[in-house]
Amino acid sequence: MKKNIYILVVEDEPDVLDSIVRDIEEFESRFPIEMADTAEEAKEIIRDILDEGDQIGLILCDHVLPEQNGVDLLIEMQNDERTRSVKKVLITGQAGLEETVKAVNEADLEHYIAKPWKKKELVDIVRNQLTDFVIEQSVNPLQYMSVLDQERIAESIRHGGDITDV
Amino acid sequence: MLSKTQTAGLFLGIAGFILPLVVTFPGLSLAGHLAMSIFLLAAVFWMFETIPIYSTSILVILLEVLLLSAEGLVFSSEGFVSGDYSPTAYTAFLSTLANPIIILFLGGFVLADASVKYNFDKYLTRKLLTPFGSNPKFIILGLMVVTGLLSAFMSNTATTAMMITVVIPIIAKMQPGDPARISIALSIPFAANIGGMATPIGTPPNAVVIAALNQQGQAITFSEWMMYAFPLTLIMLIFSWILLLKLYPPKTDRIEIDMKGKLMSTVSARLLYVTFAVTVLLWVTESYHGIKSGIVALIPVAVLTLSNSFEKKDIRKLPWEVLWLIAGGISLGIALKDTGLANWMVSLVSWDQLASLALLATFGIVTLAMSNFLSNTVTASLLIPIAISMAVSGIFEGMFGMLMVGLVVALSASFAMVLPISTPPNAVAISTGVIETKHMALAGLVIGLVGVLLVIVFSFVYWPYIL
Repeated sequence: MKKNIYILVVEDEPDVLDSIVRDIEEFESRFPIEMADTAEEAKEIIRDILDEGDQIGLILCDHVLPEQNGVDLLIEMQNDERTRSVKKVLITGQAGLEETVKAVNEADLEHYIAKPWKKKELVDIVRNQLTDFVIEQSVNPLQYMSVLDQERIAESIRHGGDITDV
Repeated sequence: MLSKTQTAGLFLGIAGFILPLVVTFPGLSLAGHLAMSIFLLAAVFWMFETIPIYSTSILVILLEVLLLSAEGLVFSSEGFVSGDYSPTAYTAFLSTLANPIIILFLGGFVLADASVKYNFDKYLTRKLLTPFGSNPKFIILGLMVVTGLLSAFMSNTATTAMMITVVIPIIAKMQPGDPARISIALSIPFAANIGGMATPIGTPPNAVVIAALNQQGQAITFSEWMMYAFPLTLIMLIFSWILLLKLYPPKTDRIEIDMKGKLMSTVSARLLYVTFAVTVLLWVTESYHGIKSGIVALIPVAVLTLSNSFEKKDIRKLPWEVLWLIAGGISLGIALKDTGLANWMVSLVSWDQLASLALLATFGIVTLAMSNFLSNTVTASLLIPIAISMAVSGIFEGMFGMLMVGLVVALSASFAMVLPISTPPNAVAISTGVIETKHMALAGLVIGLVGVLLVIVFSFVYWPYIL
């Protein structure tokens, strides 16, 4: 059975959440998008996705959330074997240097996006991170190729031998 | 978890396996019944991909050793001699893994993977593309010639992937509505499929067929194969080029190819270039010096590993499952032949009414149709034992006829390029999202039919005269 690779967006302000999801909608045909407005809800969604046997490829996470904050959520994911490989991106206007350093060091943060962002910047980052994820996890990259960085996917096929003449 | 198709395949495969065990077919020996069990199981599993196709191949070898070999469960006891079947030694099934054609492929894999490692494939591409200038029509021809040439020696899929990295930046710079995007994106997989026919190591179906012919005492040298297949490759590359230009004529009048990177000059890299050149030279001149291509193939394996140009981690990354896949196909052929099953199947139909031409054409079309949906290697593995035994039983005349029908099966299998699932190169190309299935289906169908037609023509007007 084909496994789904999800994108998880965690943001407590509905308008901002909407605009993130709108900006990255071009990926939705291949990578279903899930939304959460608190860290607790995010964790519930993560559990459900993993229980289905699916994967989370990327999390776009706001820093300031009610109750547990975004950086702590990412650290928690980093410490869990099943979510360690998830590409983690922080989208925030408010995280201070200390919090950001903590996210880099302890959550293996892949990217930091400052609000407000430009659509192209966000799309490029998402494309790059998902391409990394697909190549690293060596899932069959072909079904995702059309929305990802095609040159890098083709290059990985050239090197990797995941797909061979049959 | 199995999909519905896979589950259906599982039950059908098991049913197929049991059928010859409970039903007695007149005229077929016990060994023949057991071989039929294995054949039906393999055919269904290969078609439905219930398990990976290389696993089916491994399973075939295991079942043959257990059920058909002199050391297996059925024929090991002295008293159990059945009809005129003298049980095949289990080593015959196992040694398909070291068949000269497998070693030839191993050598090809090492050369190809080492070329990728040192970016030699990209360097060659850049050099070879230069003379084609910047006119889109000739750029497409250039892309096809280079792809075809490389895929004659490397895997069709790896060549396609490499060429896709070359054309993606070109396509990205073009106007969204320019049909040249389609012709370029189609030219790569088509040329890779066609290029694979040119040499014995071009693509696995060639291996299965060559091994089957060898077992009948019909040896084909590397250079002989090229004499048979290379002109066909060339004509079909040019035909496909013209077809793509007619269907999707470029609007832009200039294409710049901007490939970075230069020739690596480390000792390891230089050693690769020399080994590559020497090996290919020895292969294509086999008929002059007589050193078998399977022996020559050990040169790159030995030289590149002893010099550490090709390291342990590189060896581990070789596509070993493809060798298993080919070996399974070869050993299925042995079982069908030795147990008499192939002959029995051939004897079911009275072929006399059909002329050789009609028979060859039928084989070509059936191969083409099957391999559009199945793996090319699997198609060749299933059809070649039947084709060869028709030749042996005199339906095609002698060695000559055997070679003809062998070439028809091998080459027609590679002309399957209608659907994304037809071949991995097609799948890679369609996954870029630049082209749609309908683009591929139209051009692929025309190329496939013209290709098989040309194969038949060759078998009457060309091959007989160069033997």
